[in-house]
Amino acid sequence: MSGLLGTAALILAPGVPLALGVLWGVPRLRRRIGPIAPWAAVPALLLALFGTPGETAELSWLLFGSQLGMTETTRVFLFFTALIWFAAGIHGRGHLADGDHCERFCVFWLFTLAGNIGLILALDVALFYTSFALMTFAAYGLIVHDGGETARRAGRVYLVLGVLGEALILLGLLLAAQATETPLLPMLAELPEAIAGAPERDLIIASLWLGFGIKAGLPLLHFSLPLAYGAAPVPAAAALAGAMIKAGLLGWLVTLPLGFVGLQHWGTIILLTGLFAAFAAALIGVNQKQPRVVLAYSSISQMGLITVGIGAWMVAPEQGPLLAVAITIFALHHALAKAALFLGTDVVRHRTRRPVFWLWLGLGIPALALAGLLPSGLLAKTSLKYGVMAATEVPAAWSYVPLLLSLAAIGTTALMARHLWLLRLEAGRDDAQPTAWHGWALITAATLLGVLLLPLWGIDAPWMAAAGGLADALWPLAAGLGLAALAWRWLRPLPIPPADVLLLLTPLPGLALRAGRALGVTGPAARRVLRHLEAKALDRYRSTDHRLGRFSEQLWRREAPLLFALLLAVVALVGIRIA
Amino acid sequence: MAWNALILFGVLATSLVASAVIFLLAESRHTTRSVFNLAAAVLKLLLVGWIIRGVYQNAEYELRFTIIDGVDFILHADALGMMFVGLSSLLWLFTTIYAIGYLEKAPNRSRFFGFFSLCVASTVGIALAGNLFTFLLFYELLTLSTYPLVVHRGTRESLRAGQIYLYYTLGGGALLLFGVVALHVLVGDTEFVPGGVLSGLDPALHPLLIGIFLMMVIGLGVKAALFPLHAWLPMAMVAPAPVSALLHAVAVVKAGAFGIARLVYDVYGIEFAFSLGLLGPLAVAASITIIYGSVRALAQDDLKKRLAFSTISQVSYIILGISLFGPVGTLGGLVHLLHQGLMKITLFFCAGNYAETLGVHKISELDGAGQRMPATSVAFTLGAFGMIGIPPMAGFISKWYLGIGALEAEMHWVLGVLILSSLLNAAYFLPILYRIWFRRRERLWCEEKVLGRFETSGWLLVPTLATAAFALIAGVLAGMPFSPLYWADLIVSREYLQ
Repeated sequence: MSGLLGTAALILAPGVPLALGVLWGVPRLRRRIGPIAPWAAVPALLLALFGTPGETAELSWLLFGSQLGMTETTRVFLFFTALIWFAAGIHGRGHLADGDHCERFCVFWLFTLAGNIGLILALDVALFYTSFALMTFAAYGLIVHDGGETARRAGRVYLVLGVLGEALILLGLLLAAQATETPLLPMLAELPEAIAGAPERDLIIASLWLGFGIKAGLPLLHFSLPLAYGAAPVPAAAALAGAMIKAGLLGWLVTLPLGFVGLQHWGTIILLTGLFAAFAAALIGVNQKQPRVVLAYSSISQMGLITVGIGAWMVAPEQGPLLAVAITIFALHHALAKAALFLGTDVVRHRTRRPVFWLWLGLGIPALALAGLLPSGLLAKTSLKYGVMAATEVPAAWSYVPLLLSLAAIGTTALMARHLWLLRLEAGRDDAQPTAWHGWALITAATLLGVLLLPLWGIDAPWMAAAGGLADALWPLAAGLGLAALAWRWLRPLPIPPADVLLLLTPLPGLALRAGRALGVTGPAARRVLRHLEAKALDRYRSTDHRLGRFSEQLWRREAPLLFALLLAVVALVGIRIA
Repeated sequence: MAWNALILFGVLATSLVASAVIFLLAESRHTTRSVFNLAAAVLKLLLVGWIIRGVYQNAEYELRFTIIDGVDFILHADALGMMFVGLSSLLWLFTTIYAIGYLEKAPNRSRFFGFFSLCVASTVGIALAGNLFTFLLFYELLTLSTYPLVVHRGTRESLRAGQIYLYYTLGGGALLLFGVVALHVLVGDTEFVPGGVLSGLDPALHPLLIGIFLMMVIGLGVKAALFPLHAWLPMAMVAPAPVSALLHAVAVVKAGAFGIARLVYDVYGIEFAFSLGLLGPLAVAASITIIYGSVRALAQDDLKKRLAFSTISQVSYIILGISLFGPVGTLGGLVHLLHQGLMKITLFFCAGNYAETLGVHKISELDGAGQRMPATSVAFTLGAFGMIGIPPMAGFISKWYLGIGALEAEMHWVLGVLILSSLLNAAYFLPILYRIWFRRRERLWCEEKVLGRFETSGWLLVPTLATAAFALIAGVLAGMPFSPLYWADLIVSREYLQ
């Protein structure tokens, strides 16, 4: 792409959805913007397909002076992000175009999209953080769209965690920027090296890892994901689970000091967290009753596997190139498959005249890909294993990592089996007009293409290892299916609520509920008591505040002359004493 | 030179003359008063624009005459002063437009607008003052001219608030007077000079200088609402919305913060103040105020009261920036002087719009306001996001510079204060936004009025949207010439790195 065209494309990719979102503010234009909103992701998609990495666009007037650009890695992220938003938009045309009923959905959609694309293309820290914030806050509108109590609770949890994440990221970015040569105009590319040499290295890594981790579904910070994915309208959930979760991953990739110095302790912590996520999420996920929540846990589990790659990269910087490719492939493969699965949950609910065989084949492809049977999943997992194994100078315990990754695949298979089983129960339940299936078909086709083409994509991929890995991939699959069959026959799901840890983190409500139940008090009654206590506490806070205000007022009104005399006397005394 | 002095005088005179004429106009001559008022505001803005251009090109603008031997009356335009003048003239215009709409059919408008103009004149005087004496003169004039505005409604509550306001500000003024006299005894007429005038004094006097600094900061801190001198501010909320807007964004609290800036940069000199160890305690006081204001704001249900506590917190950002030793911190503090003004005036305009159009004063009654008044609510949202410091709003620019400034000054703990304050700001602003946009209205509005063909009267809506747009643009286009950041950078390069 020539220079001017390339610059224009870079600006239009986030600019078009942003401009549409702003124009939506004009009431007369709303009806026209609704129908074209799904297409807002197309400029970004075209840029990802035809743009040349390395081109930049200077926006010196923006913020502290911004730059947009694309690298090899961000090109992949841009591709699947734009594709998922496009497909989800096509799928959600009903939501977007219906001007009266779902008024706000459209504007939040456009702003979230603009933020998501902006953060991928931003080259400087200010624009990156701005886009990230835009995405975080606009997505709240998508999550609470349904307006029910579940959606509002999901929104509340999401927002609290989101704000916390923003604060952590800001802390990390400020500290990191200070370590660069131009703290007031830091570029993203300078950060990793600066962090590696910064005196506050550990604090920076911790805040960035946790801050982005909230988006990427890090265990113990993940609980907004199952709630949000379960509550948001399906197209929004697909975009959240496919594209936005990867924004957290991208945040790690562009900021963390990967490949500069070996950070043994951080690498180990991150790797263990990833493994923990992979297993724990699978265990909790198979007990869920809603397909979308199962998928949410599957996302957390898969992101855990990617996190393992990040951890390995931290420990063994020399494996950087290999692991970078593995992580990127994994991200692409997971994003497309997950978006297809989410859109599938909607398609399958509606009675359709299309042949059932094709429908279930379409639903099965991404599931099989995730389980690691189809080439894309196989390659993603194998290259990850390969990268981890190739690391030298690592503790002996590392030799178990590949085995653990295989075991995690059992969990993935079980999750997918559970998901498809739940879908079967829901299939054709809805008598409503079938929603558009084009979006779903598009993303499924993309996944299929990805499944077939990804291995051909010229990377120095460990092909031979992958072929050998097929056997490795088969036994976890078989084990997972076997486990699923056993579970289906003999086990009943445990009653774990979608926001599992949230209840552990706030033990009081959970314990009170349980105690109430033991005493024969029902859930709603216990909740009423809790609400009452909460109101009481708030009242107490308010009245303390009020008393404080009264006190200072009284003090100044009645005793003002006295106070001033005292103050002056003190000042005079100090003055005399010093003089 | 004579021309320049005349123009400088013109900036002050526009509002002084406006004030005098308005006092003389009969109460019923509404149109004449409005036209005159607006004309004066526009003229002043043009003059200020002219001077800003001149100051940018290093032209001299000074007006001085001797009052008694050794005491001069000096008006002088420098980059720091023009920043404050620019802010107050711009916002004066918008607030005047707003007040005309807000006080339609209210009694005593002549008195109101008269004192309103006088208040702006004193603010401009404070900004342009070239020495401590002139500064003090206008500082006291500001106290006296704002009192009638605070008690404008004449209710028992507002009279009480006015009384407390006077106690605080006159007391603070007295302390400031002591400081000014003390410095006068030490060094004679204290002109504002970049780098300060005190660093050459005998080291034996340093303890005394510390004492004077303390006294003057307390005196100025009353207006800047530093904890524990802040209690008058939330009470002054009984004043009409335009007055609150002016008080919080431009006139009173800013005069205090600006005075502290002058004291640190142009009287003591930042390096001298740093060597005396004065900046650390100032930073601590500012940090305590930032947190305290936010914590108190959480508990308020009255919208204007919550905004008032938020002001207490936000104005201390400016003082925090001043107390950070290093150019970037200074930049953050000074730029927030403008940013906070733009964002806070927007929020108060919005609060006024809700009160005037829907009769809503409490946050708990705001459910569904976004449906009824979308434009006002968008403005409120932008202002609130700015206060939290979410990019690309102006507040983010301030916060970034303050953060980097704190790190350059090696005061890492300030970063914690900034982050905590952002979280608290989010905790008390986001629930308001939630009510406005995501809750549904289930009852009728308290006292809904139909004002004009928009959601509310155009007089109220246009200034609100304009200031919100400025707050957005100041953030998005921070890198452009003549943005607040650019101007603050100019001040720092001129005055700080002498």
